[in-house]
Amino acid sequence: MTPTITKTEERAGAAPAQAETTLTYQPNVDICDCGPEVLIVADIPGARTDGIDVSFEDGVLSLHAKVPARELPGRAIRQEYGIGDYRRSFRLGDDFDASQITATYRHGVLTIHVPRLAAVRPRKVEVRAG
Amino acid sequence: MDGGRKAEPRFCLFFPSLFMESAMQTYRTGFAHPLDELRDEFDRLWGNLVAAPPLHGWGSQPSTTAFPAVNVRETDDAIVVEAEVPGLDAGGVDIAVTGDELVLKGSRPEPQGPTTEPTGGKGNGERKPAVTWHRRERGTGTFERRITLPVAVDAARVEARLTDGVLTVTCPKAPEAQPHKVQVRSA
Repeated sequence: MTPTITKTEERAGAAPAQAETTLTYQPNVDICDCGPEVLIVADIPGARTDGIDVSFEDGVLSLHAKVPARELPGRAIRQEYGIGDYRRSFRLGDDFDASQITATYRHGVLTIHVPRLAAVRPRKVEVRAG
Repeated sequence: MDGGRKAEPRFCLFFPSLFMESAMQTYRTGFAHPLDELRDEFDRLWGNLVAAPPLHGWGSQPSTTAFPAVNVRETDDAIVVEAEVPGLDAGGVDIAVTGDELVLKGSRPEPQGPTTEPTGGKGNGERKPAVTWHRRERGTGTFERRITLPVAVDAARVEARLTDGVLTVTCPKAPEAQPHKVQVRSA
């Protein structure tokens, strides 16, 4: 069976100073294909703009967002979500223009615009009466 | 490692291969026992087999937990509620406190469509570009979450802060709920 588990655990990088185990989470996304571009919207609350890394290589778009640890005082009496980095990748294909990918981050939501190469965009052909 | 993995066959059946995912599924919420996770996974797989296509297509993962998910902490003099509300700005969430109940209300906006709308004339058979949603995992619409706090809090002094989609509500305990140190006198 394909190991589709609902939660995976990754050690935080190779930084020996960071001794505690950090979980990596897969953010919820909306993906929209509108022809000229593909739009990916990901919920990554807690991430900061400078900790977000989006890359496109071999047809795979990867996003990784570091979430700084939040120090909260007191003791936990209810815990419904965990805090950790976000990581997810998508196989899009090769007909995208990597140099034109743009991403914006606002209020915990990352929006990535992945435009298709101009050569493969759908083009409407005008039919003229002959 | 992420990129090289093959996607699951079930996505191939119902989904354009374009968006086969390559990473293992990890969801944000739920702290279940490993056996519970296994059971949930079987439920989900079985559900995918027998169910009709869900509203937003196969591949969407309906959230089973209430929105927003909260973490609650207690200090000596306050209850601190932290909630993840991505996409909402400070005006988008309505916080009400009465006694020992905290209510979070608001509305999550619909995802914005593509920005590269083809420019052209208006009307006259001009059609909107065909938009295909391949994933709709982020919830939208109104939400209301009632959280019962362990003690009564001082509603007038509740403070809330919203940073990068994380809402932190600090509710100072009501004076009568705070621990009162009793002096023991020797007889």
